[in-house]
Amino acid sequence: MASRGTAQRPNGTQGKICQFKLVLLGESAVGKSSLVLRFVKGQFHEYQESTIGAAFLTQTVCLEETTVKFEIWDTAGQERYHSLAPMYYRGAQAAIVVYDITNQDTFTRATTWVKELQRQASPSIVIALAGNKADLGNKRVVEYEEAQAYAEENGLLFMETSAKTAMNVNDIFLAIAKKLPKNEQTGNAGTSGQGRRLVESEGQKPTSGNCCK
Amino acid sequence: MEEEYDAIVLGTGLKECILSGMLSVSGKKILHIDRNKYYGGESASITPLEELFSKFNVTMPANQYGKGREWNVDLIPKFLMANGLLVKLLIHTGVTRYLEFKSVEGSYVYKSGKISKVPIDQQEALTSDLMGIFEKRRFKNFLVWVQNMQEDDPKSWDNFDPFNNSMSLLYSKFSLDKNTQDFTGHALALHRNDDYISQSAIITIRRIKLYSDSLARYGKSPYLYPMYGLGELPQGFARLSAIYGGTYMLDKPVDEIIMEDGKVTGVRSGQEIAKCKQVFCDPTYVPNLVKKVGKVIRCICLLDHPIPNTNAALSTQIIIPQKQVNRKSDIYVSVVSHTHQVAAKGWFIAMVSTTVETDNPELEIKHGLDLLGPISQKFVYISDYLEPIDNGSESQIFISSSYDATTHFETTCLDVLSIFKKATGEEFDFNKVKHELGDEDIQ
Ligand SMILES: Cc1cc2nc3c(=O)[nH]c(=O)nc-3n(C[C@H](O)[C@H](O)[C@H](O)COP(=O)(O)OP(=O)(O)OC[C@H]3O[C@@H](n4cnc5c(N)ncnc54)[C@H](O)[C@@H]3O)c2cc1C
Ligand SMILES: Nc1nc2c(ncn2[C@@H]2O[C@H](COP(=O)(O)OP(=O)(O)O)[C@@H](O)[C@H]2O)c(=O)[nH]1
Ligand SMILES: [Mg+2]
Repeated sequence: MASRGTAQRPNGTQGKICQFKLVLLGESAVGKSSLVLRFVKGQFHEYQESTIGAAFLTQTVCLEETTVKFEIWDTAGQERYHSLAPMYYRGAQAAIVVYDITNQDTFTRATTWVKELQRQASPSIVIALAGNKADLGNKRVVEYEEAQAYAEENGLLFMETSAKTAMNVNDIFLAIAKKLPKNEQTGNAGTSGQGRRLVESEGQKPTSGNCCK
Repeated sequence: MEEEYDAIVLGTGLKECILSGMLSVSGKKILHIDRNKYYGGESASITPLEELFSKFNVTMPANQYGKGREWNVDLIPKFLMANGLLVKLLIHTGVTRYLEFKSVEGSYVYKSGKISKVPIDQQEALTSDLMGIFEKRRFKNFLVWVQNMQEDDPKSWDNFDPFNNSMSLLYSKFSLDKNTQDFTGHALALHRNDDYISQSAIITIRRIKLYSDSLARYGKSPYLYPMYGLGELPQGFARLSAIYGGTYMLDKPVDEIIMEDGKVTGVRSGQEIAKCKQVFCDPTYVPNLVKKVGKVIRCICLLDHPIPNTNAALSTQIIIPQKQVNRKSDIYVSVVSHTHQVAAKGWFIAMVSTTVETDNPELEIKHGLDLLGPISQKFVYISDYLEPIDNGSESQIFISSSYDATTHFETTCLDVLSIFKKATGEEFDFNKVKHELGDEDIQ
């Protein structure tokens, strides 16, 4: 269950934990699952199978004042036939829209995802654009400058990444963590509609709620 | 699409999505298709509000209802019993992680032309006008007996065999009057008509226990409702299925279910054919394999105020027991509101529904509508209640029934569990869901 409260920080002081829901979007095979796997477990698989059995993964990023805990939702392949459920980006406070620098179509699709998010998601959502597979520079078709200009115009964070070499993977999550507003209203993980999550054989205590206390 | 699957599921209504999830979790390779471009079929929550108006061919007045996107309107009203089957399924499969709920604030019952709150504790019971003082005492004795009675311990039965005696006899044992019987059978045991009175008492006892166990979980009422509407439920189970490898295709027409020697072998969409050993679907995908057994009328009402006499509840249920209004089946009113993120600020959605008994169904729900106060907009629709005529044993096509008029999901889940068992030959094994499901904390 999503936890909340204070965390023991590396230097021993107590910091507040803010939990955020982060979703990944982008065409199939651009490396969304690989980026998550690299960030959360430090691994990379040449033949990445869809992660079976993971509802979402969590990983924390320590900032100076706060610890940011990401609840990372992967698409579970539902993007393949354009069958992502609205529930997926419901309440998301951050999104990484991924394209493959060796495939122009995936960049075009990425811009549609960004539009979709701007239309559907909360207005305060932090969006990062990731040009993945940067290790395949010799096959590049999407220019860095083109993507950067687009990102700037739309107020997105932007980095080229490689799940394979780990380049910029931690950095992009860190950049998002820094940009996220860390106040009472926004520090709720999950769907944050202010209801409660149900847990096993339990009576009263609601388990969702503000984390930034 | 052109691959071979263990099973193809047609339609993404709640029942089909739960089945799809259970099958994927059990290791089956699933293709799940819907002809619509959204999840949920009849169990979708319609958004934005403009969509609801256009569905009913009504012009939406400008600037009256806030932002259309803030609305998620259910077509089929139901609540979850806090200790019921659906909650168990949600928790055991981990789908509950995707959802948030609120307790329904109160439950009301209609008696002699007005509504009274169903008491949930001694305090409320003392001030309740549902029963007189002596009747209250008798009713308390009855509830205590039900609470203490254990099915496997005849000593706790207090000389009343609940299996071989009717509910009518149990009522007599505690001398409960007709009004109390009405309230007990319809507002606590949630029976839809009075057939239960002549049936074995244990059926009703189990239902009252479910009611009070549900009440014990969250307090205010035994009912829960998901934030953003019931349409979240099928989406949650669809995600479960996808996480366990299920493939999803929306907006995909289903043109033919291909049979060979009376047994299903695949599904065709346009030129593409997907092969499979079994098909699971809702009745609308197989019109020739279902029969109409009744009709349900539902009326969606948009209100800019809470229901009168409910203490301004932001959510509530009102049950009108059939006898109170000379009917054979109960009328249900359910109310949800902006607090559930299903309506714009200040707005309420009331749904009045019942099983159709006459050829003027709109008149049948009048008693319900009359309780609501001024109604800004009404959408009435009548749907057939369909049941399969093929049990699937030969054809390997397993068909769910339509959603009935009950106000909770117990019958929905029973249908799903029985279909799963029929198709796989075994009960669903909850242990197959990996326990770490999604909460991998890596520090
Ligand atoms: C639909 C419904 C209606 C209920 N209506 C009443 C009601 O009208 N009045 C009420 O007090 N409780 C009622 N209850 C029971 C109530 O929810 C609690 O079980 C009860 O208030 C006491 O809870 P407890 O856990 O503190 O102790 P318990 O040990 O369950 O009971 C404490 C005391 O309350 C008495 N009691 C239990 N049920 C009733 C009852 N129905 N009427 C009078 N005394 C009762 C017990 O005999 C005991 O003396 C109702 C429950 C349900 C499900
Ligand atoms: N060279 C290279 N391959 C990658 C990178 N990221 C992912 N891949 C490969 O691309 C394929 C698709 O990755 P996957 O994570 O499943 O994509 P998803 O469908 O977006 O989740 C897999 O074969 C990965 O090994 C990367 O940064 N560099
Ligand atoms: Mg993936």
